Amino acid sequence: MSVLRENHENIPKALPQAANRKEITPEDVLRLSKITDRYLCDPDANIYEIDFTRFKIRDLESGAILFEIAKPVNIDSTAEINCENDESIDPNSGRFVRYQFTPQFLKLKTVGATVEFTVGSHPVNKFRMIERHFFRDKQLKTFDFEFGFCIPYSRNTCEHIYEFPTLPQELVNEMIANPFETRSDSFYFVDDILIMHNKADYAYNGGVQT
Amino acid sequence: MGFLTVLKKIKQKEKEMRILILGLDNAGKTTILKRFNGEAIDTISPTLGFNIKTLEHKNFKLNMWDVGGQKSLRSYWRNYFECTDGLIWVVDSADKRRLDDCKKELDSLLLEERLGGATLLIFANKQDLPGACDIKQLKEILELDKIKTHHWKIVQCSAVTGENLLEGIDWLIGDIAARIFTLD
Repeated sequence: MSVLRENHENIPKALPQAANRKEITPEDVLRLSKITDRYLCDPDANIYEIDFTRFKIRDLESGAILFEIAKPVNIDSTAEINCENDESIDPNSGRFVRYQFTPQFLKLKTVGATVEFTVGSHPVNKFRMIERHFFRDKQLKTFDFEFGFCIPYSRNTCEHIYEFPTLPQELVNEMIANPFETRSDSFYFVDDILIMHNKADYAYNGGVQT
Repeated sequence: MGFLTVLKKIKQKEKEMRILILGLDNAGKTTILKRFNGEAIDTISPTLGFNIKTLEHKNFKLNMWDVGGQKSLRSYWRNYFECTDGLIWVVDSADKRRLDDCKKELDSLLLEERLGGATLLIFANKQDLPGACDIKQLKEILELDKIKTHHWKIVQCSAVTGENLLEGIDWLIGDIAARIFTLD
């Protein structure tokens, strides 16, 4: 087992029971018509210790990396990638990422978005991500992708390479003029039960005089 | 309407293909995947899980899965067989010492029922290295001509130079398309 991450206990603990409340399913979040006003699960719903360790966005045309943030290796899980809020007691820190781009970003044609994540001591079945992007109440894009099975103690990556949706110029202008009103909810399911919910917001006015 | 017809229709609508990339560790699976997608290949470390890329190519939506090839991970390969349309088997053509091992693993994959309908592309990788076996030698050592259960082709390539990657994958996609997408 030398190839796998070594900083783990050898005996997997029994999975804690999910909290005694109504579970959120993929159908529930696919029905949403806007961004949620709260997190739809607790941080401790992530009983599989799935940990996002890298986000990267690149432009396929130029090959340029437009955004990359990686979690340092072997860091304590309370110190997450997000530095928005320095209070370490905030249970939601690490569930939120803020992206700041220039207007040029909205002119890109083909983009690759990579996530890297690690998995704890238990095998994960039917791992599925549903990501919904909105500007105000207008839906821009929905990603729905099933990773399926994840190997215990594995480190995995997934890159979605996609054509940037062509948005009307009017909408583009609105998105640039209204930073952080473009938002996304990322929902992660194991066996059709919500185990993680992350949020992000986006500004496209970088370098623009206000 | 038979099950196969229904399946064809569903897949045709989205023109989606699932491609599984397997091979021994250090064969170059991740390098091939990255190179094919125009990503830098200078910082690749052993895959201790999977790397997925979803992309559009020739009007198809490709879901490419590269699963780590270390011995301890091979028992997990079977978790990724379901719905596979194409299998890319990557061979380190310069690692003659492990070609027996390579043959053994490939042979056992070809017996897998859930890979029964998959097209097989064998990438004879690392042709840029001195002493790499050529296609003729690999055909003999891996006894490829005995494969009657799958459509297959062996293509010599180099993930480092990019030689023949596109040609190989385009053959794979063409073969899959001819099998599962009915022509209008």
